Amino acid sequence: METNKRTFIDVIWRLIMFLCALSVIFPLLWIVLESLKTNKEFFANVWALPDKLMFENYKKAWDSYHLGSTLLNTLYYVGTSLALGTFLTALSAYVLTRLEFRGRKFIWGTIMLSLFLPGINALVPQYILMRDLGLTNSLTGLIILDSFGESVFFLMLLGGFMQSLPKEMEESAYIDGASLFQVFTRIILPLSTPGIVTVAIFKFLGLYNAFLGPFIYLSDSSKYTIGVAMYHANQIMQYKADWVTLFAGVTIAMIPTIIIYVFFQKQIAEGATLGGLKG
Amino acid sequence: MAQIGASVPATPKKVSTLSKRKVQTTIFILLALGPSYCGYLLFTLYPNILSAYYSLLEWNGITDPKFVWFDNYKYLFQDEYVWRALGHNLILMVTVPILTIIPSIFLAYLLNVKGYKESPLYKVIYFLPNVLAVIVIALMWSFIYDGSNGLLNAILNLFGIDNNDFYWLGSKKTAIWALLPPLIWGGVGFYVVIFMNAMKSIPPSLYEAAILDGASHMTRLRKITIPLINPIVRISTLFLVLGVFKGFEIMLIMTNGGPAGSTEVIGLYMFNMAFGKSSHNYGYASAIGMFLFVVLVIAKLLIDRLSSKDHAEF
Repeated sequence: METNKRTFIDVIWRLIMFLCALSVIFPLLWIVLESLKTNKEFFANVWALPDKLMFENYKKAWDSYHLGSTLLNTLYYVGTSLALGTFLTALSAYVLTRLEFRGRKFIWGTIMLSLFLPGINALVPQYILMRDLGLTNSLTGLIILDSFGESVFFLMLLGGFMQSLPKEMEESAYIDGASLFQVFTRIILPLSTPGIVTVAIFKFLGLYNAFLGPFIYLSDSSKYTIGVAMYHANQIMQYKADWVTLFAGVTIAMIPTIIIYVFFQKQIAEGATLGGLKG
Repeated sequence: MAQIGASVPATPKKVSTLSKRKVQTTIFILLALGPSYCGYLLFTLYPNILSAYYSLLEWNGITDPKFVWFDNYKYLFQDEYVWRALGHNLILMVTVPILTIIPSIFLAYLLNVKGYKESPLYKVIYFLPNVLAVIVIALMWSFIYDGSNGLLNAILNLFGIDNNDFYWLGSKKTAIWALLPPLIWGGVGFYVVIFMNAMKSIPPSLYEAAILDGASHMTRLRKITIPLINPIVRISTLFLVLGVFKGFEIMLIMTNGGPAGSTEVIGLYMFNMAFGKSSHNYGYASAIGMFLFVVLVIAKLLIDRLSSKDHAEF
């Protein structure tokens, strides 16, 4: 490639790139900044820095939006679905990519069908089904809905990974008398860890950020996950005009994903390019 | 699918340990694949099939359903709210992909070709909105658009523009346009990463030859980069169009279709028809869902044809 001579035009490019980055970061920082003011300061001047950092807002948001129990609900929903869903996905990927059996092609075919299903038309029948099964207004019901299923994106990601593992280790384990489940847990799972981590990160983001499912299925406020709780907090705020507390709540809501992003941004960017245009 | 796995015949010649192995394998496959596959059949495939049936019903979910054949569909094509909603979808389906893809290509090119020392950091920042929850994005932009306290009006005031605390989401004229920034803000970074990867696969020798010929960056971008990543650009555009066609979470949170239905999109109309506060018309909602289903499946088939052709080009 050419040596990049720095010219006047570079100043403009760098400025544009800087402004784009600023437009991403600035609104987020604005929310964090306002969350540390009093309502009075916020109404008086959006730009001014707070006299004193109002960490009380966070305590108030925590109490008035019941964030303690909300985050416990979220932890239960996300944690269980993540563990169960990732384990089941790994099992499915293993069976579908490394075992030969009759009907495998047929099963793959039916799973590939889901690529053509936009999902939006199934919202109503799925709700009726969940209602008939007594799984609405229940975090456990939501976990069942989100954990038991097949995702082409995850199966391809993990399946591709598992296919590249050498067959020899498995075979020697069989000769030693290991069962299939032992081979799966002791050989396949440890060797597929990077793939499983990527799947788990994407599942985490999808579950934590999920809004529509919890919004449709959870009706008791004691069962809300963080997204639904913030939605209702915003509805109530329109009458109470307690902005700074809501800002604090939104800040709390975005902290977990930002932490995950900071730690796993490489896997996230790679996974996005892998599956983004397929799923 | 139980019988398919279980009906593997044990050949008579094999020794008994082998057939025992086969039985064990079958049981393992059933137990390992069964739960998630049955969940898929029950929670994904079955509701999709059922939605076709529901669309022929008049049903509020409580009283007995009434079979009305194609009345819901007849009503759908006369329903002015459907057409109004589709009009809003059309506006977004044209604007959002263009305003997402063009900046993404531009930024991806800059990040790839110009190795500024801050470039890696920018890539991380641009992608950040993609990991944020839709509720965070939607609420943040609601705050930005607020009349007396919003960030947008505060910025305008800095430049000496006083618009009397204009509430951007409260006016029929501006509300639909105010939805563009959150939709674009949430998506550009993803496509920057996609296009950067696509651009990395272009052989550097092509650029070297062009540089020898004295081609400028603009010429190289126009003549080499864009033509070579064109397949991915086309697929990305189609995916964005489809996403905007069926998406409605941002609208649900920010405006719920208001003011006076000026931001109602088809997905939101369907959603409120089924789950809204006032009405529970499951039959009609399913008919709208089926209508979306047909349009989206045709579009998807089209994409698949396009993308398989594209692979041949590479």
